[in-house]
Amino acid sequence: MIQALANWILSFDILAGLGNPIAWGLSLFVVSALIFAFVAVNAIVLVYFERKVSAFMQVRLGPMRVGKFGSLQTVADALKLLQKEDIIPRSADKILFLIGPWVILVASVVTFAAIPFSDTLLAANMNIGLFYVVSISSIVVLGIVMAGWASNNKWSLYGAMRSAAQIISYEIPVGITLIAVVAVVGSLNLQVIVQAQGGVGNLFHWIPLPLPNWFIFHNPFLFLAAFIYLIGATAEINRTPFDIPESESELVAGFMTEYSGLRWALFFLSEYANATLVAFLVSIVFLGGWQSPFADYAGAQIGFLVITLVAVMWTLYVKAKAQRLSIYPVGISLVITLAAWLFPGFAVWLASPGLFWMLMKVASIIFLLMWFRWTFPRLRVDQLMYVSWKVILPISLVNLMGVAVWMWLTGEIQF
Amino acid sequence: MGRLHAEEMILNMGPQHPSTHGVLRLKLRTDGEIVSHIEPVIGYLHRSFEKHAENLEYQQVTPFCGRCDYLAAMGSEHGYAMAVEKMMGIELPERVEYLRVIFAELQRIASHLVAVGTFGLDVGAITPFIYCFRERELILDLFEMASGARLLYNYIWIGGLAHDIPPGFVEKTYEFLDNFDTRVAEYNQILTGNKIFIERAADIGVMTPEVAINYGVTGPSLRASGVNIDIRRTQPYSIYDRFDFDVPLGEGAQGTVGDSWDRYYVRVREMEESARIIRQALDQLPVEGDVKSAIPRRIRPPKGEIYSRSENARGELGYYVVSNGKNVPLRVKMRSPAFSNLSVINEIGQGWMISDVIAILGSLDIVLGEIDR
Repeated sequence: MIQALANWILSFDILAGLGNPIAWGLSLFVVSALIFAFVAVNAIVLVYFERKVSAFMQVRLGPMRVGKFGSLQTVADALKLLQKEDIIPRSADKILFLIGPWVILVASVVTFAAIPFSDTLLAANMNIGLFYVVSISSIVVLGIVMAGWASNNKWSLYGAMRSAAQIISYEIPVGITLIAVVAVVGSLNLQVIVQAQGGVGNLFHWIPLPLPNWFIFHNPFLFLAAFIYLIGATAEINRTPFDIPESESELVAGFMTEYSGLRWALFFLSEYANATLVAFLVSIVFLGGWQSPFADYAGAQIGFLVITLVAVMWTLYVKAKAQRLSIYPVGISLVITLAAWLFPGFAVWLASPGLFWMLMKVASIIFLLMWFRWTFPRLRVDQLMYVSWKVILPISLVNLMGVAVWMWLTGEIQF
Repeated sequence: MGRLHAEEMILNMGPQHPSTHGVLRLKLRTDGEIVSHIEPVIGYLHRSFEKHAENLEYQQVTPFCGRCDYLAAMGSEHGYAMAVEKMMGIELPERVEYLRVIFAELQRIASHLVAVGTFGLDVGAITPFIYCFRERELILDLFEMASGARLLYNYIWIGGLAHDIPPGFVEKTYEFLDNFDTRVAEYNQILTGNKIFIERAADIGVMTPEVAINYGVTGPSLRASGVNIDIRRTQPYSIYDRFDFDVPLGEGAQGTVGDSWDRYYVRVREMEESARIIRQALDQLPVEGDVKSAIPRRIRPPKGEIYSRSENARGELGYYVVSNGKNVPLRVKMRSPAFSNLSVINEIGQGWMISDVIAILGSLDIVLGEIDR
């Protein structure tokens, strides 16, 4: 995308004299700014989203005062945070205290360079994209330890130590589940991984149930791997039920205890950036990234018909079980279905790959993460380690072997 | 380089900490995450209740009682009123007794809702807390209807009540009770049976019956250890002998008898039992009766002393009142259940992790206003 932008700049007669290096540098700057803007806006939107989702799950309204339905609440909060006094504790290690949040932020923002938003919207098409994302995102732990240690506060230290142990433990099963996918594709390039998931086929290639060719439906082991990855990734980004590093009721605010104002906002920003990154990775690696779930426009029409039927059945079930009625799932899917049947152009658009499907998948995963957060209690630190080393890691290792055996049996690879 | 020197760290939890339920300070001696010694430091909420009581007329002490256990103010007022009434030998109208039981039991539900919800909060579940507060709001609405206040009521007076219940109160209470069972089922669904919650609460901070009795632990925390002592049942006061209710005991359904999960679940079941008592009391509530008829003009108990106990939401609430025949008590001593319940924390919390200490503290359900008084 950077080179494409540079070429576009050079295509103007006035700017052609800039030469490729300058144009390239200019495009690099523009793309970086775009990514940063995406992360910042995304955090503001997600904080609002999270507050609303939690409110609806807790029979509350959530923010309602600033803007229509409180939509400007997070903007107001961000402005407030910018104005706040920047407090540095006297006994803190000043240098580490100052750079800690920035290390975390940089580590979580630069990972987006390798994320394919659509078939063309991609900052850097790296052949080691997946490896890059996984390795860069693990730098976050360095910043957390820096921040926790430099604060010179016992709670922060506990938070940082817990976080370091947790993130390092969960990186291993997460990495192994990702290797399972890499074994299927044979490439670390995220764009190639997405491209390998186009079209519609049978579930696990032999059960006659037409489902998208996503890796989650590729074989039973990858189906399991998707869930292992989601659990491990939830732990890696420190969200409930694995939010022990910043567990509010135990460690006050964990490694963020001594931070205030802008620096605290940076932690918040990177927290949501990381959550988004995980959602992107789940979508790209297991859910087909920017691929549409439908093969053609007829598929989209029938697919949404099925979705509407499922929504109706679900609503009836909920009505019978909880005496509560929500018409939104049925209503929204019914509107989309009608539109798809009445306007074939819309159905064609639904069936075509693109940014829309990527963002839809990401939003669903983020909603799932929020759902976890507002439902589950928190694990204890030793239980967390137990889950990682004694449950998820063995399962993911067996799973990796299972993927290999499956591929050998189905003849996808030969020895 | 000498040997790596490792030593225990003193961690100061509170008085400003999200999970100490007020202004409690715990001095934890920690070795990594393991806590080897817990020393509660109290007194941050000391408001000289007992000294105040020595300088106020008997009826003026009532509002201060509610301020001690502010989450179960009705129960506190009830206990104090009973103590003075017993000294003076006041016979209460039936209607007053029934209304007092209704309010005390509603207060028990409200208090246990806070206990259950904050325990969930302590182990990291935020949503159950809000659900519990949703029901507590309904109870507070009922209290507001009757007394005009939502937290500190000054409603149960010596010899009667401040006002009779307003019209519509009984219907609204029935309505609350009708919905309450489904709500309890909801808590059980979201918290009680949750695997992570069970992992965090079961087998944690086991309190054996011996330990509980030695430390003077009372109330749901004691019954969770399997000791069947409920003053409403063992020494019925007011009119508790007329109602049919069970005393839930800890059974160790998810772990050992007397663990944090049992202490939590006993409270959940006590809420259901309280709802049963309220329903019976509403059914039997006499229509006739002036709630103020027995209120004495001058409250001057004869010389003497009395110790009156009642089962408040947190356990045995005792008032030791000494009278010298004047209109001001010579001494009012409050035996606060939460104080004794907190004292056991070092015994049952040693050797657990910091997160567990939080969970154990939450399961003991303390109110600092009552501990410091």
